[in-house]
Amino acid sequence: MSLALATLIHEWRRYLAAVIALAFSGLLILAQVGMFTGIVKGATATIDRSRADLMIMPPKMESLINSGSSALPRRIQPLLYMHPEVAEVASFDGDGARWTNRPEPGKKAVTTFVQVNMVDTRAGAVTLPTDYSETVRLALMEPYAIAIDRTALKRLGVKLGDAAALNGRTVRVRAILDGYPDINQASVVISRDTMRMLGMGEKSDKTGPLMVRLKDPSRTEIVRDQLNANAKGAYRAWTRPELAKANEGALMQEQIIGIFLGFSVFLGFLIGVGITSQTLRGAILANIKEFASLRALGVSMGSLRLVVVELSFWVGVVGLAATALFTFGVYLLAQSGGMPMGFPIPWVVGVAILLLTISLASGLMALGILKHSQPADLLR
Amino acid sequence: MSAIALEAHGLVKRFKTGRSYVEVLKGVDFQALHGDVTMVMGPSGSGKSTLVAALSGLLRPDSGMVSALDQKLWDLKPGRIDRFRLDHCGFIFQGFNLFSALSALQQVAVVLKYKGYSKSEARDRAELALTEVGLGHRLNQRPAELSGGEKQRVAIARALAKDPQLLFADEPTSALDGENGQVVTRLLQRAAKQHGAAVICVTHDPRLEAFADRIIHIEDGLILDDRRVRPAVIPTTPDLIGA
Repeated sequence: MSLALATLIHEWRRYLAAVIALAFSGLLILAQVGMFTGIVKGATATIDRSRADLMIMPPKMESLINSGSSALPRRIQPLLYMHPEVAEVASFDGDGARWTNRPEPGKKAVTTFVQVNMVDTRAGAVTLPTDYSETVRLALMEPYAIAIDRTALKRLGVKLGDAAALNGRTVRVRAILDGYPDINQASVVISRDTMRMLGMGEKSDKTGPLMVRLKDPSRTEIVRDQLNANAKGAYRAWTRPELAKANEGALMQEQIIGIFLGFSVFLGFLIGVGITSQTLRGAILANIKEFASLRALGVSMGSLRLVVVELSFWVGVVGLAATALFTFGVYLLAQSGGMPMGFPIPWVVGVAILLLTISLASGLMALGILKHSQPADLLR
Repeated sequence: MSAIALEAHGLVKRFKTGRSYVEVLKGVDFQALHGDVTMVMGPSGSGKSTLVAALSGLLRPDSGMVSALDQKLWDLKPGRIDRFRLDHCGFIFQGFNLFSALSALQQVAVVLKYKGYSKSEARDRAELALTEVGLGHRLNQRPAELSGGEKQRVAIARALAKDPQLLFADEPTSALDGENGQVVTRLLQRAAKQHGAAVICVTHDPRLEAFADRIIHIEDGLILDDRRVRPAVIPTTPDLIGA
């Protein structure tokens, strides 16, 4: 075992402050990334878990997040059936609506805007998420029936069987969903027929984005390329994972979130370097006589610097492990509160690199302290 | 190999205190032979530690010449001086300066690894050196589990394991009781007699005088007297550790 690693293990208490500082720096960033990603996941869960292999969107739309109108000309839908491998095409219409509950005496009235999502209630329909139970599907077949995620019930002030109003038209909570939480904006699921009766969704010659199921899902990417080659600029086909990634990316590029995260990275770096370098300095100072005796025995300054850099690297690795642990704890906490979180690999890798950079930078800053290791001082 | 291991002429060292300079070494001439235990004795502040620092390449003198193993020490570049110490010098300090995280075996092996020995070679040599100082049964103990005498023996093993031809000791016994002090002194003597090292030991412990081949008294930066207690015996073929 190397001198650096042995020192870290034996004197772990000395390095604990640095490890915890690193862990919180990492957590500060990852928890926010996780939360923002969770918002996207909540908002697009209905599409993510559908049977669609491809999504068709307007050509200039780069994601489902704040990227302009998602409406397509109605003629695109029949056009897609021209491709022999397309099994089913359905539009995914959505709308926003004003929600009003009917509070029982003594309860609070709720008026808020909700996202209205739509599914087809036919068994095996392309827009129907795969994890909807048969009871939910049957319940949604009833006119003016709505389904709500369990976590939104309280926020919307209703329970199963209650009546409420969407844009002033009476609807009834007929089903409860699990796994569709959305901390950003509550959402409500209705059938395509109910949506039509409520007068929502795209009208006249427009439809929402199209969901496409293929006869052979393994050929998704080939069909996507063929459809795009024939689109002539009228639409663009996306695979589902491709779209999910674009949605995550788009949210992270939202200016306000970018500022949040940029500031967190900056703050995390500052706190991390500050505490870690001070901790390393203290720890090295505590061993300075031992380092000096190595110097006396002829070990070069360069070799000692390497020991310090190695030490800071290991502190970074341990800090990374602590970050993983803390973040997992926060993830569990969020899950128990019904808040989805997601950790995109590029961000996780980025935070890992950041933490190692912090610890190595701290190590480099602590190097100066080795100048105190004057072996002549040991002779008194 | 010449009998003279270490030679110095006209060593001068000044330290700045406030606006004035204090001359700690005032033109010291010095010489140490292979196989000798040379005691440098003197009251505190006499400059004996500074002398050792200048002789061993730790502290550059303001003027004067040090020739160690026929090399002009202070003409070398700092990196070469480090290398010289790594190859030829052992140090034993008053405080033992052992890493609290390392076992006795690791303390010794770390230095050997820097000298370029492979992992297993370093281990074997470290084990041998610790056995030689009577710690063969305490190889895996950390400093916290060792007594003061044992710690100093680990430090001695660390200094001796690389088979130095120059061994510098600074008050090696002053933190030890009489019995442990004797053990340490005998080890120093053995390094000189069996391994042919030139042992230069700074001390003001009069008990050590009995073990010296040569005693040099230094006071106020000048050598007062230099007397040989035992006639010089030059070992023809030094017995090397592990060789």
